[in-house]
Amino acid sequence: MQFTVTETENRLVITVAEARIDAAIATRFKDKLREVVLRHRKPVEMLMGAVDFMDSSGLGAMIAVRKALPDNLPLVLKDLTPNVERVFRLTRMDTVFDIRPAAADEEQTE
Amino acid sequence: MTSTERQNAGLNGQISTRTQPMFHRVLHAQPTRVRETLTAIRTRFRSEVSDDTLGRLELVLAEVMNNVTEHASLADSAADAGQQPSIHISIVRHDTGLACAISDDGVSLPEECLLPRGLPVMDLTDLPEGGFGWYLIQDLTQALCYYREEQRNFLAFSIPFTDQTGGR
Repeated sequence: MQFTVTETENRLVITVAEARIDAAIATRFKDKLREVVLRHRKPVEMLMGAVDFMDSSGLGAMIAVRKALPDNLPLVLKDLTPNVERVFRLTRMDTVFDIRPAAADEEQTE
Repeated sequence: MTSTERQNAGLNGQISTRTQPMFHRVLHAQPTRVRETLTAIRTRFRSEVSDDTLGRLELVLAEVMNNVTEHASLADSAADAGQQPSIHISIVRHDTGLACAISDDGVSLPEECLLPRGLPVMDLTDLPEGGFGWYLIQDLTQALCYYREEQRNFLAFSIPFTDQTGGR
């Protein structure tokens, strides 16, 4: 399970380094990240730019991590690739997650 | 030449032998085998179809094969590889999309999977963590059909090209 965690004073930045969040790793992904967010108890920012592919089991893992955040702490997702963004959009989960474009990608066209 | 004319072109051997990119594989229903197969499919069609089409294809095939892996095992308690269903997958590029056929020798697909369905109920206080797979399959495919014959499930559908430039 490849990701790095950087803690600042007021938030946790998780950079996901896995190319695929799929059925092969969804359970481990969910368990590891749930443990991380529960331990730190801070707002979370997840950088997803390295993830090329996510299926519905990966989406389920992301939802489980969001639900694990205590006290309604925010979870912000950044740098979604088109394949990952599609899954959030088609399942309407883009209305539940706080998904933001990367600041450096403002000129990127759809 | 329309597709009908092409199909009726007969046995002159010129048009009917036109090659189209294809993919075929037999695999055990197991997450790492599914992942390898999806990666191989991406490699095969990468230069043939747009990134958008490839993304939709990969998502649908992942959902279908994950379902077989998770639910079609003949004996849920048996962990040995002999109980894993065997998946056969074929994909052919046509003028209007990618035609896919997937079969497996697992348990029958429950009928409700193929009934028109919406998304799972969105309860903001207890978000659903599953139940998205068949919605995605139905949403992204055309001409989805299923039949059971002897010990196998057969599922066929197409992934349409949606951009004006066809497959590219």
